[in-house]
Amino acid sequence: MTQWRILRNFDPWIVVSGLVLAFFGALLIYSASRTVYPDGIESLSHPAVRHLVIATLGVVVVFAVAWLDYRTLGQVAPTIYAVALALLAGVLLVGTSVYGSRRWLDAGGLSIQASEVAKLLVIIVLAKFLADRHLEVASLRAFLLSLAIAAVPVALVLAEPDMGTAIIFGAAWLGMVVVAGCRPQHILVFLATLTLSIPFVVLGVMGDYQRERIAVFLNPEADPLGGGFQILQAEISVGSGGIFGKGLIHGTQTQLDYLQTPTRDYIFSVLGEELGLVGALLLFALFAFLLFRGLRAATLARDPFGRLIATGIVIMILFQVFINVAVNIRLLPVTGIPLPFISAGGSSLITLFVALGLLESILLRHRQIDF
Amino acid sequence: MDFLRGGGQRWRSEKPRRPEHAFLAGRNLFLLQVLIFVLFGILTLQLVRMQVFEVDQYEEKAQNNRLRELQVLPLRGLIYDRNGAPLVQNVANYAAVITAADLPDKNEEEVFARLGEVLKMPPQEIAEKVGEKREDGNPYEAVVIKDELDRDTALILKELTPNLPGVELRVEARRRYPSGDLTSHIVGYVGRIDQEEYASLRPRGYILNDQVGKTGTEADYEDVLRGKPGKELAEVDASGRQLDVLDARAAQPGQSVFLTIDLELQRKATDALREFMGTSDNATAVVMDVHSGEVLAMVSLPAFDNNLFSRAISQQELDDLLSQPGKPLVNHAIAEMYAPGSTFKTITGLAALQEGVARTDTVITSKGYITVANEYDPNVVYYFRDWAALGAMDFYRGVAMSSDVYFYYLSGGKADEGFRGLGEERLARYARSFGLGEPTGIDLPGESPGLVPDARWKEQNWGETWYVGDTYSFGIGQGYLAVTPLQLLNAVATIANGGDLLRPRLLKEIQDDHGNTVATFGPEVRRQVPVNPDYLAVMREAMRQSVDYGVASSAAVPGLTVAGKTGSAEFGEQRADGSYDTHGWFVGFAPFEDPQIAVVVFVQRGGGYQNAAPVAARIFDYYFHQRYVAQPEGSP
Repeated sequence: MTQWRILRNFDPWIVVSGLVLAFFGALLIYSASRTVYPDGIESLSHPAVRHLVIATLGVVVVFAVAWLDYRTLGQVAPTIYAVALALLAGVLLVGTSVYGSRRWLDAGGLSIQASEVAKLLVIIVLAKFLADRHLEVASLRAFLLSLAIAAVPVALVLAEPDMGTAIIFGAAWLGMVVVAGCRPQHILVFLATLTLSIPFVVLGVMGDYQRERIAVFLNPEADPLGGGFQILQAEISVGSGGIFGKGLIHGTQTQLDYLQTPTRDYIFSVLGEELGLVGALLLFALFAFLLFRGLRAATLARDPFGRLIATGIVIMILFQVFINVAVNIRLLPVTGIPLPFISAGGSSLITLFVALGLLESILLRHRQIDF
Repeated sequence: MDFLRGGGQRWRSEKPRRPEHAFLAGRNLFLLQVLIFVLFGILTLQLVRMQVFEVDQYEEKAQNNRLRELQVLPLRGLIYDRNGAPLVQNVANYAAVITAADLPDKNEEEVFARLGEVLKMPPQEIAEKVGEKREDGNPYEAVVIKDELDRDTALILKELTPNLPGVELRVEARRRYPSGDLTSHIVGYVGRIDQEEYASLRPRGYILNDQVGKTGTEADYEDVLRGKPGKELAEVDASGRQLDVLDARAAQPGQSVFLTIDLELQRKATDALREFMGTSDNATAVVMDVHSGEVLAMVSLPAFDNNLFSRAISQQELDDLLSQPGKPLVNHAIAEMYAPGSTFKTITGLAALQEGVARTDTVITSKGYITVANEYDPNVVYYFRDWAALGAMDFYRGVAMSSDVYFYYLSGGKADEGFRGLGEERLARYARSFGLGEPTGIDLPGESPGLVPDARWKEQNWGETWYVGDTYSFGIGQGYLAVTPLQLLNAVATIANGGDLLRPRLLKEIQDDHGNTVATFGPEVRRQVPVNPDYLAVMREAMRQSVDYGVASSAAVPGLTVAGKTGSAEFGEQRADGSYDTHGWFVGFAPFEDPQIAVVVFVQRGGGYQNAAPVAARIFDYYFHQRYVAQPEGSP
């Protein structure tokens, strides 16, 4: 049982920044869903309301998870790993297909986006594995084993196919092994191998749809009404927003339905158009603030396990934000990644609040330096 | 994967071999901080590039997405007869149209399939039509898939269009011609603009699928009838639905045209002509006010139903019209030219009087023929026949009995008797001064100029010299001379009105869409004919006598003094008995005392006395005697 005095170590800024981001997201979701809900908010089923409800629920989740000692998770790491793999495999077997890609599990009226949940679970498992070997982490064996732990879910996610989430897994693993202190040589060799294998991946492993996406990304004007449409329209939306934007609910691209999935993967285009560069920088500032609070938790963590979990969470959020925004502003090919805290979607939002809860849990139990 | 089998036990059994070194993690966490800055920095740089430096370019693209400029077609003006009877109406036409740009990115075949089901046409056909428009590089302009939808289909389609992106039910005004074939040659018709017309009319605000006057008044007064198209700046969403009209300049409706035609007279003239044309391929009758040049009726038979063209006419229907020997699409009153026959003697006679070749008391005897010796071999003698041995005649009787011999003397002379005729040069000059050989300038498209021959013309076109025999033929309206019925009518109207050669016209008045008169039109005198008015009076009297006791007596109307001249113009191959097929003509005016209207009747393969003159009599009788007689309620 936790003692009350350790609550002094609770970091309110983490919860606050998560909530502010979610509120920011609700505003954008409201604007982006006006084409579908032209009469505004009439019931609790409105996506903006849903988003706020889940965020509120998220606060409860933060406290619940914070109250739980994160170290108990280490004891059930194999089970967690099994659950993660089961979710990812399940989605391949009985999942629902959206935009040609299987990502959803239907369970008792709830749709769960399996990879969103699995991301956090795999981070915990990797953290546990690396923490237990933090003294021999420089060995090739530990390095390869950790790679194997990450490779299985990556393979399952790629089979969905969901390139974006696979990259998140990869980035989280890479960041965590670096922080855990593995040999730079191992990492460099690994990265070199990866780079050299790209041609083979493109030709052999990649599906037609992925190759097509890359071709379209490089030249969307070749097919402006087909595959290139959303790339061009997202770019036009953001670009036409200018410095101050066209004003919430006044973006012509958004309100005239030129964006596809404007409440999810393309919500940044809504922000870029309606709130402009100023809005985007505000969003970046909020994220950067949250990420630094996360790194603070990593620094203060009492043990490698906590530190690695915090690191993994920071990397997960950072890369999701980067990839999502980069796709919206035509720096990366199209890949379906939600913008953390902003995009509509319960699985993602709840998982993120669980992650924030873990950060709090790590902070509450950090090494006591009481004066 | 061994840690899975080994469970948590083994993990916990690990013993630290080296002391914990937190400094390592600290350094690597610093790397992570740098990464956060770098990644957000990359995003910010791209955003600044797009939103600050290239914002104009993106803004323009967003505006292009959002705004669409649409043409608003004006309501076309109407056409009325001189008494305000409508000759055309605007009625609603329902058409299914597709805007290629608004079709869904995927599954456009599904849209085609569902639309095909409603319209009962194969989806491939729809796909082809849309494909053509795409190739033209005009994906924003709607293409008509099917026209003339019945009300039920239109209603079904209206229900479905919200679920069929790119498909629209378009309601447009369609021309309906209530008098149909009765006035089709005058009113004409409108049709869809074709590629060539579109290319030239586009700068004047015409759009694809637009309607344009193709012939008749619809074509000639296109600019008056069309009005000015308006513009609409509309906001459209990504699937092309029009959400809001941001700016609009209303279309200016077309002005209405009141024609000089009297629909009732037109009907009576048509009935009479149809009755007397017998088995002729075609016939025509034109009635004109001799003082104003207003055309009161213009009938060309066979006619066609112009409503066929205002719908999209089928190839079958068009082929039917084109294959008929009477050429129903041709307005024979203005577009075809024929030898005028004896009706031309009016002009020969006037020329002879004016030139002093003949006086009213010039007596010539017809033995039934005239002889001309060959210039080089006097033993060779040519015979030019009269239609009968008419005996001695003065000028009046010569015209009234339509003696060919009398006019052989006046035109070609009789060298061996020392009678000097007019000669071809003077004949041609007078013919031209009465407006023959040039278009009358009537406000209808497709007018023929006719042909007035002379020696030079024959030399140039036939490579032959002009003989005195040619002059004889010329003088009695045979040979190379060719006129349109309207030209002949106009020439005789000039005799009737005392010498003013008018421009025949169909336009009486233009009104705007509120019924205010914009412009009225009066007589337009092209020139005075170079003939002494006294001689014109002589010719009028001769024409009166022709109807009174002469060859045109079948044009007589009790209670009305009609003056006129018939003609039976020979044409084609000589028959075995030496005779020819003839075209029947009558041209005349009434009343003689104070001429008001002139009438020309032409019956192909008919006779002037038997076929043409009686039609004129019916027209005169109706015009002067029955026009204002009360009709029972409800009768036409």
